[in-house]
Amino acid sequence: MKYLFLIFENIQRNKVRTILTGLGTMVLVLVVTLVFTILTTLDRATTEKSQNLKGIVTEKWQIPSQMPWAYASALTEGGAKEPDDSKPDDFMTWGFYLGSTEPDPKKRSFENLFFGFVMEPEKLMTMMDDLDQLEGEDKRQLEASIAKMQENRQGVIVGPGRLTKMNKRVGDRMKVFGRNFKDIDLEMEIVGTFPRGRYDESSVIRRDYLNASMDAYQQTHAGKPHPLADKTLNLVWLRLSDRDKFNKVGQQIDKSASFTQPAVKFETASSGIAAFLEAYRDLIWGMRWLLAPACIATLSLIISNAISISVRERQKEFAVMKVLGFRPTQILMFVLIEALLIGTVAGVVSAAMTYGGINYGMGGLPFQIAFFPRFLVPISCLWWGALMGAGTAFAGSVIPAFSACSVNVANVFAKVA
Amino acid sequence: MTESSPCVRVDDVHKSFKRGSEIVEVLKGLSLTVNEGEFVALMGPSGSGKTTLLNLIAGLDRPTTGDVWVRDACISGLSENALASWRTSGIGFVFQFYHLLPVLTAFRNVELPLLLLPLTASQRKTQVLNAFELVGLPDRMYHRPGQLSGGQQQRVGIARAIVTDPALIVADEPTGDLDSKSADEILDLLGELKRSLGKTIIMVTHDPKAASRADRIVHLEKGQLVDDVPVLMAKH
Repeated sequence: MKYLFLIFENIQRNKVRTILTGLGTMVLVLVVTLVFTILTTLDRATTEKSQNLKGIVTEKWQIPSQMPWAYASALTEGGAKEPDDSKPDDFMTWGFYLGSTEPDPKKRSFENLFFGFVMEPEKLMTMMDDLDQLEGEDKRQLEASIAKMQENRQGVIVGPGRLTKMNKRVGDRMKVFGRNFKDIDLEMEIVGTFPRGRYDESSVIRRDYLNASMDAYQQTHAGKPHPLADKTLNLVWLRLSDRDKFNKVGQQIDKSASFTQPAVKFETASSGIAAFLEAYRDLIWGMRWLLAPACIATLSLIISNAISISVRERQKEFAVMKVLGFRPTQILMFVLIEALLIGTVAGVVSAAMTYGGINYGMGGLPFQIAFFPRFLVPISCLWWGALMGAGTAFAGSVIPAFSACSVNVANVFAKVA
Repeated sequence: MTESSPCVRVDDVHKSFKRGSEIVEVLKGLSLTVNEGEFVALMGPSGSGKTTLLNLIAGLDRPTTGDVWVRDACISGLSENALASWRTSGIGFVFQFYHLLPVLTAFRNVELPLLLLPLTASQRKTQVLNAFELVGLPDRMYHRPGQLSGGQQQRVGIARAIVTDPALIVADEPTGDLDSKSADEILDLLGELKRSLGKTIIMVTHDPKAASRADRIVHLEKGQLVDDVPVLMAKH
């Protein structure tokens, strides 16, 4: 402890260089934290669980999956037919509705885009990732919105980011012109919003409203159904308590003759997401193995350069310290601790600012990839940041520290003389 | 210890350096004894080996052959860590260019060697204050080196050298960077340290006037001791 003043005084010796080194560390910790945020979220989503599994039923041979709505009731029962067949603990159906609030196709833009999950609103609280973990005021507000949606077939819940972009607010009515379901235009009333984060840009529409709109299309088109009338079911989610039950339900769906036109497949949510992310494989690989290591290596070099300059400038001082009785290991520790202090403090500050800025300021990192429109920075980034700052500072200061502790006193003073 | 007991004994010391492929022998079988409480000036032309000898006595370098004894310790046989510990309290070093750490106040500079000893903060403070009193600079303790004159910086350098109360002080041209008035003051101070505290002082100098303040002048030439006379005799 008694040596701390020496370390602090040395850090303040050249404030500009210390600040620049700290800023360099902060910028690179920021970049690596963002990269790790995306990678860890994707890793978590694709990690297989053994309990409380979620499975997905999709069309077997086609992406995007487009199954007939007629499959829904049997699939949500897990294909169970016999009394002793296994049934899922919970389920959720998904259809995707893409539209725009702008009727003129030429004026359509990202600002007036609308994307909605077509589903059972009550399943938001039990089956949707993250929303099933809500607590407190966020949970209460979402439950109230769901209740309004259940009373109003045209009710819709819209994410706060999307509301802002569309310049709408809760209580507004809007007409959305279908893009994937051409000529299926929906009149909707915004009854609530999601908490900031993962569903910032998403919306939820009632399944029976889309089905009714499909029926209405047929009535107004001389009994001719909409071209996608048999393709409104994109995914079915099933929750199963354990792996045995999961395998059993999987066999029931595979064996069932009801799901052959088109054929379906049943897999864990993790493997389903992993398969979906296959298209981004090179991008993710590059982020994990090129971008992050390159940032860390660059940071180490920057710190090494700054510390090397500082050590060169202080050669005489290290020689004087040796004359006074300081041991080489003590001098080595001074240099390492100085670098570690700058690196750790800059790393923690950068990670904390990233956490606060991204999660609370921006409502998540807007990096659209697969089903993940936004990524929340995990709280663990605080220790990543500290570790990254400290690790790179250590790596960058080892060589300069050895150079400092191996200063030859007689040579240094011979040069001075 | 009596004044005639040896404080420093250099026995048949050789020191060679490698310069490229050539081996340069700087000290050639040099022997020297400096008694307790003696003030010795080392003189000689550039390249005669004065500073090399001083570095060997201060434990900053090792002889190629031969031994260097300071009091009861053969310092040429000590490990690097043992040598570092010995330097902390066994010797005080005064540099020509002071070599104070610019980021620290004068007080912190003087306190630096005390950090290596098992002392409390208040014990360190007491010793630092005593050292500043001895060098006559108690009103400049909290100034940084850049705010002090050359003479004042050298006083701080001397305070740093004596703060651990070493028996031996070695000084490498301590007045070489000072004007004559400041140089006189520093030499007065070194003389006072010898007289009142009984310190043994070995000083390298080119300046005959500075050397005349010593008890004894030792002349080196080409790595060998060529003359070793008391100052009173040298003056005559």
